[in-house]
Amino acid sequence: MTENKKKILEMLADKKISIDDAYRLLEVVDTDEGQASTPKPESEVKAKPKYLRVNVIPDPDAEGGSGDRVNVRVPMSLIRAGIKLTSLIPAEAMDKVNGALRDKGINFDVRSVKTEDIEELIEALGELEVDVMSGREKVRVFVE
Amino acid sequence: MNRPPLLMHVKIRGENGKFGLWLPLFLLIPLALVVLIILSPLILIAVLVLWPSGWGKLALHSLPASWRVFCSIRGLKVDVHNPRDSVYISVV
Repeated sequence: MTENKKKILEMLADKKISIDDAYRLLEVVDTDEGQASTPKPESEVKAKPKYLRVNVIPDPDAEGGSGDRVNVRVPMSLIRAGIKLTSLIPAEAMDKVNGALRDKGINFDVRSVKTEDIEELIEALGELEVDVMSGREKVRVFVE
Repeated sequence: MNRPPLLMHVKIRGENGKFGLWLPLFLLIPLALVVLIILSPLILIAVLVLWPSGWGKLALHSLPASWRVFCSIRGLKVDVHNPRDSVYISVV
């Protein structure tokens, strides 16, 4: 018996509420508990992403068509292990990596990647879906 | 931690012919372990020598990290092809 039901019966025993009130309250408690214990539909339960997929599909009608068709599936565990590897990069190398990223226009400090943030990052990747259509090919990045 | 990968399938097709290989990674693990045990005194000395500079700690940590990465590649699939060439790598 739940705490709420016990309280209702105690209130009834103390004659603080009538039998009808107690009956109504018990019904409400039963309904609430039923809803809480009902499992969410499968579509609502967000599965943990397992793979990062990158697909490049060339447009056969494009000029100079028949480009490379790419299908890459990277396990999330590999991404996780790769992020953890950043903690092994020596400080001097970190500066070089940061400099190279800056040269490419990416203003990101590799030192800011903390192993504690990995799970949050991986979970956030679950929402990722990138579709790029260019004249020659279609690039799709997503997780599954 | 993930289970280590068992097999690696490599298929390469080019203008000169094609090549396919099933690499039994599970057989390489005991081999690598034996090599590691044989080399462990040298690794230990190298770690101790490099410890004051900070590189020893990194070298020591890189061993379990490498194993973690190796275990994580299970499920990796790379498939790149065009009408002339193709490369397929799959780790199972």
